[in-house]
Amino acid sequence: MTALGGSSDVGLDRPQRRADKERFKFTTFVWLSPAGILLIALFLVPTAYAIYLGFTNLQLLGPHASSFSFTGLANLDRMVHDSVFWSSVKLTLVFVIGSGIIAQTLLGMALALLGQRAHISIRATVGSIVILAWVLPEIAVAFIWYAFGQSGGMLSEIIGKPSDDLLSTVPLLIVCVANAWRGTAFSMLILSAGLRNVPEEVDEAAQLEGAGYWRRLFRITLPIMRPTIMTNMILITIGTISDFTLIYAMTQGGPGNETAILPVYMYIEAFQFNALGYGTAIALSLIVIGGLLSIFYIRQLKPELGKAS
Amino acid sequence: MAKIVLQGVTKLFKGKNSAAVYDLDLEVEDGEFLVVVGPSGCGKTTTLRMLAGFETPSRGVVQIGGKTMNDVMPKDRNLAMVFQNYALFPHMTVEKNLAFGMKVRRTPKASIGREIREIAEMLEISELLGRKPAELSGGERQRVALGRALLRRPQAFLLDEPLSNLDAALRAQMRIELKRIHAQYPVTTVYVTHDQVEAMTMADRVVLMQGGRLQQLATPEMLYDQPVNAFVASFVGSPKINLFPGRVVQDGSGPKVSFLTASYALNGSHGATFDAVSTREVTVGFRPEEIRLATGNDPELPVVKATVELVEPLGSETHVVARVGELVLTCKLPARCGLSAGDTVSLEFDTAQMKLFDTESGIRLG
Amino acid sequence: MTTIDVAEQVMPGKADVLLHASIPTGWKRVRMHKLMVNATLGVLGIVFLLPLIWLVDSAFNTHATASLGAPALSLANFRAALAAGAGGAIKNSLYLAVVSTLIATAVSTLAAYTLSRRRVPFKSTLLLGVLFLTGLPVTLLLIPTYEIFVHLGWANSPFYTSLVLAATSVPFAVWLLKNFIDQVPKEFEEAAAIEGTTEMRILWKIVIPLSLPGILVAAILTFINSWGAFLIPLVLDANPGNTPGAVGIYQFMSANGTVQFGPLAAYGILFSLPVVVLYLVCSRWLNGGFAFAGGVKG
Repeated sequence: MTALGGSSDVGLDRPQRRADKERFKFTTFVWLSPAGILLIALFLVPTAYAIYLGFTNLQLLGPHASSFSFTGLANLDRMVHDSVFWSSVKLTLVFVIGSGIIAQTLLGMALALLGQRAHISIRATVGSIVILAWVLPEIAVAFIWYAFGQSGGMLSEIIGKPSDDLLSTVPLLIVCVANAWRGTAFSMLILSAGLRNVPEEVDEAAQLEGAGYWRRLFRITLPIMRPTIMTNMILITIGTISDFTLIYAMTQGGPGNETAILPVYMYIEAFQFNALGYGTAIALSLIVIGGLLSIFYIRQLKPELGKAS
Repeated sequence: MAKIVLQGVTKLFKGKNSAAVYDLDLEVEDGEFLVVVGPSGCGKTTTLRMLAGFETPSRGVVQIGGKTMNDVMPKDRNLAMVFQNYALFPHMTVEKNLAFGMKVRRTPKASIGREIREIAEMLEISELLGRKPAELSGGERQRVALGRALLRRPQAFLLDEPLSNLDAALRAQMRIELKRIHAQYPVTTVYVTHDQVEAMTMADRVVLMQGGRLQQLATPEMLYDQPVNAFVASFVGSPKINLFPGRVVQDGSGPKVSFLTASYALNGSHGATFDAVSTREVTVGFRPEEIRLATGNDPELPVVKATVELVEPLGSETHVVARVGELVLTCKLPARCGLSAGDTVSLEFDTAQMKLFDTESGIRLG
Repeated sequence: MTTIDVAEQVMPGKADVLLHASIPTGWKRVRMHKLMVNATLGVLGIVFLLPLIWLVDSAFNTHATASLGAPALSLANFRAALAAGAGGAIKNSLYLAVVSTLIATAVSTLAAYTLSRRRVPFKSTLLLGVLFLTGLPVTLLLIPTYEIFVHLGWANSPFYTSLVLAATSVPFAVWLLKNFIDQVPKEFEEAAAIEGTTEMRILWKIVIPLSLPGILVAAILTFINSWGAFLIPLVLDANPGNTPGAVGIYQFMSANGTVQFGPLAAYGILFSLPVVVLYLVCSRWLNGGFAFAGGVKG
């Protein structure tokens, strides 16, 4: 237009203001501020404060409740020499990897694959049951499995030893089963959706090439679903690693510290042994572990990362 | 290499009232290039999927190479298929895509490499072997899919609208290429398309389906010249055949058909059909090239006055849409015919190929 | 078109004689396979159902134990649960869930729209930050938030507790809604803008209705999360009158020497029912939300 018209209002020395490029408006701040204030006040400030508190001797009650001070690496030093902490790290990993990653992913994948080929009424019924377990408040799940793990509970009756108190003999296994029962629906939903995104013709093409079901599953379907599986694993890890309610309500971390995964250990240290500062340090270690796990998955599941895409 | 036979094949889907494919009898000769064509929903893809084994016939028999296939899994049918959207394995390189089937069949490594090199050279995709499908253009993906099918060394090829995702120029080129490949490897081929041009240009024989039923099985020429009903006549040919309501009456000298403002004495092959008829409603069909500007050379031919509505000069010829009363007709006239909208013209109908259909059933009468 | 369209006219097919000439087909193979699949899935379903059956059975059985008992139909357990304060606790949970859901959804929708449509300085950094917060364990916030609340006198207040619950849901909600609104075609808004509509009106009349499924998913997930909240109210609100259902059940579980399975199961059902019903009513949109999450591309 300018070239054709050569109209006088197009100054050569003035940079033209383009109408198609959106400009920053002041109201943008206004619109973002409610979420911003909420996140800064109740998310970022506490996070920053946590990083500070993790290096202090803050207590819930007692001399350091109000006049706490920066203690440098004392908490870290205590952590390194705290055998309960290390066993708690191990328990956390077992809980996250065993009940979260392995059990939930495998069960969720099995349900998704079976559901894809099952009769619609069976798929819908079983799907609803599994989802119901997930929608139940965590405390209700904790109560159910607390009862199941007791002596005389359903689980001990099923294995034929009704007098066994499974919550004291194999407590970690019981909380893992409870968590798998509760969390499988999430994997099932994500993985079914991912499965629906695998083009049917690709599977059909592989059939015509003579590939049987298992070969197609492992060579075609699962590799195509890799990004979904990875996303699912990261989401499960995030959800499981900070889980508190289920285990605490079932066992309070016991017997002994046998089920005290990091969030539970943090709570015990902070609110039962008064050590808020050390508790925060434990919470900080959770982030480190969660981050390491996520990096690990990404490495494992994306071997092509780094190659030209 | 195999002959394909369908006997009374019917496919019913749950919750559907009408059959997707109804009582289909079909024989595809060894090495034949058969095109199944029809509008969407006519059952052509279902037919192909029953051949491949992805659908099981509700009734009837599917035989490939003399063997009944109803109970044979797709993986054991030894067929190759090219899908509409190619269905390449997205996570594998082109080379792995090509190698997949041979690995499944435990072909020795050395010959896998050699065969892939040969086929890649023939299809001119040698430089693409290291790439993934997402990095290929539509035409390149098409070639890879073809290569994968060829490497299968199947008893028969199944192609499901393989060209529909390509642009017009590439489609024309691939039509020729597919024919060339078929000449080189004369494997029984069933090719499904909704495009009548593909059907006419590529097929040894064409199957035209509609509403789950076979309408006609014939060579392209036969399909064009001798359609069994009005549907076939109007599906094949572009621009479409002109169909006018008409009426056959007897006057003193014999049967006469009247349509538009014209009337024409039926003789020869046409006449015999109507000897015993007193009055009958018919549909009269003329292909666009059978309508031309009146010359007066043959006073027997019916002539109609029409008003030109639209002129479409295509370069080599001109398509003219003209109106006669309530009816509109299309005719193919020579290039630079000098007409423009609003002109009144006299049009002459070449009755040599005139087609008469029963108005109610659409069945061709003569 | 005045030319007769005969495309609809179908040739009359062969008579249905064919119906009798039934020829064996491949259904047997398919059936065997389907049976195995359905049976396996059914068994898995029963395994998952067992705990739920126990919960219902125990709630209606006055002699409930840790294992399945004879079916009974008594409401005594429900009366006992209500006597133990289930009613008040559920009311408290409702307050926490409603307030936090309203706040989180409103705030997140506004932010998600702005991030999706407007030019925001450092937008990608902000989005990355939001994603990072999504993955941050809430446990980390607990102690510092407790300290801050004690100092500011916000502890033991249901409203401030719901604010924390809202804040923990906001990162996920913003992320979900931003992606959802990104999918809403801009043309509708542009058409409205050409008509001279204000942006607030566009948001209300066009963007929100079109992204309602996403907003519902965010709201429902926030609601379910806040409804079951345990650790945050446990730490931030020590006032017995404010105890929400999850904490109430926990206290009831550890209250007496012997666990009262019947009343606890009844309490559990009373407390679970609202979210279960909510889920059933809204499952259509929720599944859509999962299709969305499952479709992530690598």
